[in-house]
Amino acid sequence: MIADYKLRQTLANVLARCNSSSSGGGGATIDADTKREVQHHENHAADWWNQNGSMEALHALNEIRVPFIRDGIVARGNVKPHYVNTTKVLKGQRLLEVGCGGGLLTEQLARLGAQVTGIDLAEKLIAAARDHLTELSPELCSNVKYKMEPVDQHAKSNCERYDAVIVSEVLEHVDDKVALLEACVRSLRPGGSIFITTLNKTLPMWVAGVVLSEYVLNLVPKGTHHWEKMISPLDVQRILDTSK
Amino acid sequence: MLSLFLHNGGAASKGQLRCVVARLLSTTATTNAPTTTTTPGSEHFDIIIGGGGLVGTTLAAALAKNDTLADKRVLLLEGAGEFKGFDASGPYQNRVSAINRNSIELFKSIGAWSHIEAARYKPVKQMQVWESNSDALIQFQHDNFASDVACIIENDLILDAVYARVREAANVQILNKARIECVRLPKDTSGSHSELQLQDGRSFSCELLIGADGANSIVRKEMGVDVFSMNYDRMGLVATLELGDDVCDNSVAWQRFLPNGPVALLPLNEKLSSLVWSTTVSQAKHLKDLPPAEFVDALNEAFCRQYARVELADKAVQALNSFFGQQATQNQLQYPPRVCAVKDGSRATFPLGFLHASSYVCSGAALVGDAAHRVHPLAGQGVNLGFSDVRYLVESLAAGAYAGFKLGDKQHLIKYERKCLAKNVPIMLGVHGLHALYSTEFSPVVLLRSLGVQLTQNLPPIKNLFMKGAMG
Repeated sequence: MIADYKLRQTLANVLARCNSSSSGGGGATIDADTKREVQHHENHAADWWNQNGSMEALHALNEIRVPFIRDGIVARGNVKPHYVNTTKVLKGQRLLEVGCGGGLLTEQLARLGAQVTGIDLAEKLIAAARDHLTELSPELCSNVKYKMEPVDQHAKSNCERYDAVIVSEVLEHVDDKVALLEACVRSLRPGGSIFITTLNKTLPMWVAGVVLSEYVLNLVPKGTHHWEKMISPLDVQRILDTSK
Repeated sequence: MLSLFLHNGGAASKGQLRCVVARLLSTTATTNAPTTTTTPGSEHFDIIIGGGGLVGTTLAAALAKNDTLADKRVLLLEGAGEFKGFDASGPYQNRVSAINRNSIELFKSIGAWSHIEAARYKPVKQMQVWESNSDALIQFQHDNFASDVACIIENDLILDAVYARVREAANVQILNKARIECVRLPKDTSGSHSELQLQDGRSFSCELLIGADGANSIVRKEMGVDVFSMNYDRMGLVATLELGDDVCDNSVAWQRFLPNGPVALLPLNEKLSSLVWSTTVSQAKHLKDLPPAEFVDALNEAFCRQYARVELADKAVQALNSFFGQQATQNQLQYPPRVCAVKDGSRATFPLGFLHASSYVCSGAALVGDAAHRVHPLAGQGVNLGFSDVRYLVESLAAGAYAGFKLGDKQHLIKYERKCLAKNVPIMLGVHGLHALYSTEFSPVVLLRSLGVQLTQNLPPIKNLFMKGAMG
């Protein structure tokens, strides 16, 4: 199976590291640490779509990550030339978004014509995503499916199904990165792409992304990011290389 | 082969049932008449432009021409009746605009420039600006008159050219005699659409409502943005003038600052020029009603009359010129051609003011042109700023739509506002500053402004900076 890794550094905060100690098998069972992460994010479910609320930074990130994913898919040559530069650019593309949260990125990709499946472990966030979809973006209902499901379980029933898998701002909240990425790759069709964005594991990123944004400027809710879970691009690459 | 896709043409306000329309893939989806409408009464569009003036209509044409936005349904609302068209062989109109290079680029990009070229317009090769209280003067031109400083075009011709583009666009509808009664924006309704009702009771909804409805914009009022406005207590007087035989090719625009305000001659063709005379309300009304012969005399006097001089300023200007080693002839004041007649019924007045909205956008709405900013006509910037709004807005909307943003998403609209403010605010302050600077005969101010003007005239880099700002 060939996966195409799009690992680019953007000025905001793209990319990752490997927690070597936690490699190994991953099951559908959710450990206590993951539960805590899920709960932390669920606390903001009601505020998720508020552009000026606690998820403001995540809203702003769409300016970067949507073009990143769109241009990456176009660059693979799977988009019909007459769709390029139109709002149908991703028409017919089957995308999986792992850790879709309240659906900020999901809806925007669907608006470009893609068929997007968003999965997440947080029940409240999936509910918030569904509510927003049906109430405020009903025109996208036929393009978006949300499911509360772990990725390895999803990959079992959707083997080699997707044109692209998106793991955006998720890896930094996950312990078993290897299991997650392997499941993502299993769900990709041969030649498909995986897009990953996460905080880089560097000191400046920690200072800016954790200390400043969470504790000084209050851009991001406190306790969202933890140094030991951050990952560098090289380590992500290493996992993907071994999971081919 | 059947494809299912979502058609939001008929859906209206929040919580409404969407209609899924099945169509053959091969059929074109351009005309987009709402095939299934759940609520009669309220038709849905992607973009509604309130106001079919120069800026609003040009925006409609530019939206239609953009590849990314080509599938968006646009409605253009105009309060007046159907546009009567333009006759290039008829008499010249009294409302004209000095169009700069950026605006011409915009017309070229939407295919409207050839229409204007085929009719009539006058390129301006040089602009001379001087004043009444000293010898200071400034002349703008490109090296060796290689390109035009601006083009003088009748407003109705511009409208005719852009209307032609709008009419041939399949995704734009024009609605005449459509006066907006009230507007409801998503921030009030917590829905996802902007809604509006016309005075005749028809109602519409849209993703994005654009206020191109002038200085008294209803859309702006509903947006609730702060507005800074100032009445200059001045009026502009326009007229079409016949020139005497001393004019050669009439390719110079003239502007003289008088104590009451600037008077300007803008060339229309070899024999005709258009007048823009800003002055006090009472003088403007007086001039408008003068018998033609007396009006012509008053006008010729305005360009030639010697006012009380500030001698110190004159000496300073002379000293500055000799410092720069300028020959007297190089820097000589040229006099505009003598006006010999005014066209019957071409005189009209309009009020002058300054206005700036603190914000151009909110969720579901944006402002362009005079609805966002209004400026003194002395530098011919008003409508050009409006056209630059059009360029920025179409660029921003296309980039936003291509990144999957909703058209009315404030997060993306704010980028349009940022670009506009960076361009508009310095120009508006500059134009307002000039107005203030030349509204006085107080000697120290005359001295300073004369030195400033003369220094600018003598220092090409500074002069080029001004030209770049004003001409795009």
